[in-house]
Amino acid sequence: MVTIDISNTEKTMNCSFTGRLDTNASIQVGEEITNKMAAIKGKTDALFPIDIKIVFNLKDINFISSSFIRICMGTAKQVPPGNFCITNCDPFIKKTFKIAGLDGLLNVS
Amino acid sequence: MAETLQEKADEVLSRAILAAAEFQQFNQEQTDRVVEAVYKAGLNARIILAKMAVEETGIGIWQHKVWKNVIATQLVYESIINEKTVGVISNDSVTGITEIAQPLGPIFAVTPVTNPTSTAMYKILICLKTRNPIIISAHRGAAKCTAEAARICYEAALEAGAPEDCIQVISAGSRDFTQTVMAHPKVALILATGGTGLVRAAYSSGNPAIGVGPGNVPVFIDESADIPFAVSSIISSKTFDNGTICASEQSIIVEEKIELQVREEFARQHCYFLPPDEIKKVEKVAVVEETMSMSPFIVGQSVETIANKAGITVPEGTRILMAKLDGVGKNYPLSHEVLAPILAFYVAKNYNQAIHLCIDLNYLGGIGHSAGIYANDEKRILEFSQVINAGRIVVNTPTSQGAVGGTYNLLVPSLTLGCGTGGKNITTENITAKNLINIQRVCRRKMNDKYMSVNQDMYLDENSTESMLQFEYHKNH
Repeated sequence: MVTIDISNTEKTMNCSFTGRLDTNASIQVGEEITNKMAAIKGKTDALFPIDIKIVFNLKDINFISSSFIRICMGTAKQVPPGNFCITNCDPFIKKTFKIAGLDGLLNVS
Repeated sequence: MAETLQEKADEVLSRAILAAAEFQQFNQEQTDRVVEAVYKAGLNARIILAKMAVEETGIGIWQHKVWKNVIATQLVYESIINEKTVGVISNDSVTGITEIAQPLGPIFAVTPVTNPTSTAMYKILICLKTRNPIIISAHRGAAKCTAEAARICYEAALEAGAPEDCIQVISAGSRDFTQTVMAHPKVALILATGGTGLVRAAYSSGNPAIGVGPGNVPVFIDESADIPFAVSSIISSKTFDNGTICASEQSIIVEEKIELQVREEFARQHCYFLPPDEIKKVEKVAVVEETMSMSPFIVGQSVETIANKAGITVPEGTRILMAKLDGVGKNYPLSHEVLAPILAFYVAKNYNQAIHLCIDLNYLGGIGHSAGIYANDEKRILEFSQVINAGRIVVNTPTSQGAVGGTYNLLVPSLTLGCGTGGKNITTENITAKNLINIQRVCRRKMNDKYMSVNQDMYLDENSTESMLQFEYHKNH
């Protein structure tokens, strides 16, 4: 079970997650992120990539699946380099991104 | 634009790395749930996979491949399931050392044509038990059955919550692609089971490797042995899956004084001693003259097929073709490893000469692998064992089943048998889950009082001799 809280201003989209981001939960997360991004695109009529900052807050997450890592990569690709970051990682989650070799690309902290 | 081999390898490894990242978060319970599901699926598929393997490769006997699949699933599972492979695996309050198991990362596993589905399932189980994703490269002659074994295991693993891409199979047939993957920087370890060339390629890749190559198993029947029992045991081993296990007997060595008894027993149990002209004919079809390596066309074939290829007629029901040889080496092709129901037979004048022969055969391409002895004389068993260079010396036991472990002895059941440095391997063990973890040691402060009590200036003084330093080191204060 996972809960997602997405809020956005014109400049930033904040996504906070709670629970366990296993494969099934990641499908739900993926759909919600995709819908939100589509809504933002429509609203701003922005050309790809969208010039906003996206923050994934993993404060209450202790497990992430490879599917969720793929969602992070896919989301990061939709904004200019440096506009995507992951914050408040548990050390085990930080290590997971490190092993995947994506901690730098996804600005994990 | 066509994808390059490097790009294809990058894609496979990027999937494996994500699987590794997810897998390393699993606890022991989650890991064991996956392993249990895969073992059950593999065991349930033992017969269909065995039949597929024989049909596709044309090698061996399906009923015997079922047994191999059972070893690779039921017995391997039993041997690893209670092992701790996640997190803290030991904690010693006396030494102050705590051991923590960590996964290695993506493991590239190469599987052979002779034992394709069993080797694949065994490698999958030990990789999953240690939270390592596995990438399997099947022998091109066994690509379909290996892929099917992997598919069955993968579906069961996913159902039990394993990470996506924890098992991948790469398309077989391209040696260049295999080598590209082997050398990929994201491969943590290569687990190679196969011929000399493959094992050499694994070790030359620049990545850590456990590569296990060929054997050439000598079996000595001592005068103290129960001869009918020994012969029966050897036949059950050498005919098993038509001799495809690399630990199967290759040569039988006896002293002159028991030759007749042994020959009669082999003959009584339907083994056929080839006359010299027929030995020549069998040599031609069994061994490639230029390389002195076994012909792939006779590997795992029946006696009838081999006899037909050689153009000889053998008595109906013959179980093994026996070739009495006078020497070892390139002038005696059948002294080399042949994974088929053909056995070299040597007669020595005495015990000493017999053991010399065993050593020569052991060093003819089978260093570090396996050897066998039938004896009821413990002194001779130990003498033999100390002069033979083999990871496993099995006693009064069929070498095929004995070396693989789990049935005739308490060796760890395994389809990859370490051959030590003689075989260019890092270990002589039967490879299992414990070989696939990194063990971290948390070392708490425990002062060495003896060392600390020595006046440290003494070590800097050239006049301090070894005996003075030893005295100070061991002195009671």
